[in-house]
Amino acid sequence: MSEIYSPSSENDVSNFIRESHEQDTPIEIIGQNTRPIGRLIQCSKTLQLKNLNGIIEYFPEELYIKVKAATSLGLVEAELDKRDQELAFEPADLGFLYNGKSNKGSVGGAVSCNLSGSRRFKSGALRDHILGFQGVNGKGEIVKSGGTVVKNVTGYDVSKLIAGSYGTLVALTEIVLKVQPKNEESQTLLINNINLKKALNIFSKAMQTSVEISGACFYPEKSLNFFKLNDLDISTSITALRIEGPKISVVERVNTLKKLFDEYKKTMSVLENYQSRIFWKNTTDLEFFNNTESVVIKIILPSVNTGQFINQFENEELRYVVDWAGNLTWIAIPQNDSVLLRQLRKAALALNGHMTIIKAPNHVRIREDFLTTVDDNIKVLSLKIKESFDPKKILNPGKMYSGI
Amino acid sequence: MTLVMPKVDQLILDDKEKIVRDLKKFTNPINIISDLEGITPYETDALSAYKQKPMAVVLPENTSEVSNILKYCNEKNIKVVPRGAGTGLSGGALPLADCVLLGLGKFNKILEIDFENRCVVTQPGVTNLALTKAVEHKDFYYAPDPSSQIACSIGGNIAENSGGVHSLKYGTTTNNVLGVEFVLMDGTIMRFGGKKIESEGYDLLGLITGSEGLLGVVTEVTVKILKKPQSIKALLLGFQKIEESGQCVSDIISGGIIPAGMEVMDKPLIKATDDYSKAGYPRDVDAILIVELDGTESEVNVLIKKVEEIAKKNKATYLRISKNDDERLRFWSGRKVAFPAVGSISPDYLCMDGTIPRKKLPEVLKEITRLSNKYGLRVANCFHAGDGNLHPLIMFDSNIRSELKKAEQFGADILKYCVKSGGVLTGEHGVGIEKRDLMCEMFNDEDIQQQLNIKEAFDKNSLLNPGKVYPLLHRCAEGGKMHVHKDNNKFKDIPRF
Repeated sequence: MSEIYSPSSENDVSNFIRESHEQDTPIEIIGQNTRPIGRLIQCSKTLQLKNLNGIIEYFPEELYIKVKAATSLGLVEAELDKRDQELAFEPADLGFLYNGKSNKGSVGGAVSCNLSGSRRFKSGALRDHILGFQGVNGKGEIVKSGGTVVKNVTGYDVSKLIAGSYGTLVALTEIVLKVQPKNEESQTLLINNINLKKALNIFSKAMQTSVEISGACFYPEKSLNFFKLNDLDISTSITALRIEGPKISVVERVNTLKKLFDEYKKTMSVLENYQSRIFWKNTTDLEFFNNTESVVIKIILPSVNTGQFINQFENEELRYVVDWAGNLTWIAIPQNDSVLLRQLRKAALALNGHMTIIKAPNHVRIREDFLTTVDDNIKVLSLKIKESFDPKKILNPGKMYSGI
Repeated sequence: MTLVMPKVDQLILDDKEKIVRDLKKFTNPINIISDLEGITPYETDALSAYKQKPMAVVLPENTSEVSNILKYCNEKNIKVVPRGAGTGLSGGALPLADCVLLGLGKFNKILEIDFENRCVVTQPGVTNLALTKAVEHKDFYYAPDPSSQIACSIGGNIAENSGGVHSLKYGTTTNNVLGVEFVLMDGTIMRFGGKKIESEGYDLLGLITGSEGLLGVVTEVTVKILKKPQSIKALLLGFQKIEESGQCVSDIISGGIIPAGMEVMDKPLIKATDDYSKAGYPRDVDAILIVELDGTESEVNVLIKKVEEIAKKNKATYLRISKNDDERLRFWSGRKVAFPAVGSISPDYLCMDGTIPRKKLPEVLKEITRLSNKYGLRVANCFHAGDGNLHPLIMFDSNIRSELKKAEQFGADILKYCVKSGGVLTGEHGVGIEKRDLMCEMFNDEDIQQQLNIKEAFDKNSLLNPGKVYPLLHRCAEGGKMHVHKDNNKFKDIPRF
C-alpha cells in the first residue's frame, strides 16, 4: 500500500518532494484522482494535492483566472459562467467515461493530460490557453513560468511543456488559464444517413468557407444509442456541424451551410441553442462511451487520412466517433483484443498519426504502451528534459513512457 | 548598459583559418563569408545600438548542411548564432566575436500549400507576408502579422513567438504553427508536430517556439492558414483623456466582445504618425483607439453598434466607422508606420515591449510620463490594447554623450514598472540581450536555473546563441538587483550562459 501524503501548502509540497528526492523515493502525484490515465505505475508514496484548491484571483475584464492546482474544474466553470465566460478549449468531463457519472476532476489534472473538447480545431487545445503556472520540480524547488497576460515571450514557454506532461516534470501548485466570453448562440446543423467519406467531405468543404464552424463530428449508426434528445433521429448516422457566435451571425451562417449542402436537404435538421449545447456537451464528455468496459483509445490523424484509416477496419465492427473535423477518432474495443489494439496503433502510425490509450483496465495499462512515440531522438530528448526537472526521476516515473 | 557577453575563446579565433577551411567542406564554399566587408552586414540586427562582427558567416542551403555544420561546431567547441532576416528588436541575433553566424536566408522556398489540410509547409527564410501572399488567391491568410511582416522570416517568428495586432483573437505564432524540422546543436535532425492537429508526449513544439534560437535551428515549418473573414470593419475613436480610452477597452472586453485588433496611441504618437502618413487622425484628442471587428456582415454590424455605444458611454469625442476597406486601411496606416514616424522626429529611438494588465494602462502611462520628465527624454506610446502589449518609443540622440545610456535606463525603469504592475518584460520582441539583465525582475534563481537546465537538455555545451535571454554569471539577489556573488554561488558547477 502506498503511503498517501496530502499537503496543505506549496511549501509542504516542496519539503515533501525535497525529502523524497534525497531519499530516492518515487512519488505518484494525484489531484482529485478522477482520471486513471497513463501507464500504471507503482510508487511507495502518493502525493495527493487535493488540499491545494481554491480560486486565487479572477479578473473577467483581464480574461484570466488563477487557481490552486487541485481546484475543481467544475467550480471554475461555474464561476466563469456567472460572468458569461468560459474555457474556450471545452474541457471534457471524463467522469462519464470512467465512472458513468459527471466528475470533472481538478484543473491540474486537466492541464497534466492536455485534453481538449470538440472546439479544439477552432479554438486550440488546453495548451493554447495556459498562461502560466507554478509548481515543484523533482528536486523540491518551487519554479514558475509565464504570467497572467496573453502576450508574453519572457523566457521559454514552459507552461506548454507542462501541459500534457502527466505530472512527470512538476507537481503543479498554481495555474493561470485564459478565459473567453461565452458565445451568445450555438446551433448545430445535422445531416442524417450519410457515410463517413461523405461526412469528411462535408467537414473539409465547410472548413474551406469563412463560416467558421466550431464543431464537426460524425456518429456512425451503431454508436448512437445514448442520445436522448427529443427531435434527434438516431436510427441512422449523424454528421454534425456547430456554429457559434452572436445570434444574428449564427442564423446567417447556418443558412449559408444549408445552401452549401443543399443536396442533403431531405435529411437535414438544425438543433437550436439549448439542444445544440447538450449535443456538444455529450460529445465532448464522451457520453457515448458512458462507463464502458471496453478499452477506449484516441487516434489523431491528419484529417485527410481518417477515412482511409477507418476503412482498414471495416470488418472489425469498430465502435467509433469522429470529432475535430476529422482530426480525432475515438474508438472502443474489447478489453482482451490486444491484436486489434496493436493493429490500430500501427495503422495510425503508418498514416502519420498516433494513438493514445485513454481508458483501459489495469492489466492492459501494464502490458500496452500508453503513447505511440517511436522516434528514438524524441525519446532521448524527452528523457533529458525529464531529467532537467527531475534528475532522479521520482515524479510519476514511467507514467508516459517506460524510463521517463 | 554595459553588456557582458560570454568570454571570447582565443583558441578558436587563433584557429579561424582552419575553421573556415573546414566549413567549406559542408556547403558550397561561396556560402562561407569571412572577409571584413562580407561579414559587416551581419554585425547587428534591428537593435542596432549593439554591433559585433562574427568570426565567420555561413549560409547553408539545406538541412543536412545545417546538421553537419552544427555537429562540427559542437565537436570543436565553436559558438553558433542563428539568424533569420535580422529584423529582431532585442538583439537575439547579435553575433559574438568568436562565433559562426548561421544565416538561414537561403531557406527561402515555400515547399507545399495544402488547402485541404489548411496548412503551408515552408522553409524558415520565407517572409511572414509571403505566406499570406501565397494563399490569398483562395482567400486564405496566415494570422500572426508582426509589423515587420514584409521583411521578417517565419523562422525568426518561431524563434521569437511573434505576435502582431491581431493576436488577441487569433493568437501568436505558437498558436498557429503545426510543426517544425529542427536541428539540435549536436547535429541531430528532429521533427516536432506536422500536419496533424497535435502530437503526443512533451510539447516540444510549444517549448521551442519563442526560445530565441537557444535550443536549436528551425529548418522547415508547417503553419496553419485561416480563411479570411467575410467582413472586416474598424472604428476610429478619439478621447480627451487616455484613461477613457483604457476604460473603453476594458468595457468592450467585459461586454463579451473580442475584437480582431484594438490599438491605442497617445497624443505625441498621433501627431507623429499623422504628420508622417496623413492618416487623418483627430488632432484635438489625447488618445485614439482603433477597434477592428471581423466576422459575417451582420455580425460585424451588430458588434460595431455595441462598440459605438460603449465608446459614447466612455466619452469618446471622435467616432468614425470605416465605410470601406480603403478607409479601414487608412485608419491603420498611421499605426503601421508608428516606428518610422517616430524615427522622423527624433535622431534615434528605443522601442520597448512590456505587457501589462489592460486596466493598468492609465497608471503605467502616468509613470512613463513621470520618467520622461525625470530623464528629460521624449516618449510616444502605442499599445496593443487587446492583449496589453505596450510599446513606448523613447526618443534620444546618440550623438549626445550619455543619451543612449539614459534612454536604456529609462526603458529599464518602464519594464520594471510593467512587471510591478502584474505584467511581463516582453510581449513579442523577445529578451535577447536587451532585457537579459532584467530577467531577475520576473524570475528568481530557481526559475532561471530550471530554464538553464532545459537549455542544457538541448545543448549540453551551451554553444548555441550563448549570452542571450539569461543573465551571465549572476544570481538574482534581494530586491531584483543583480550582483555577482562569487563566494556564494550555489550553482557554481553549472555554466551560466
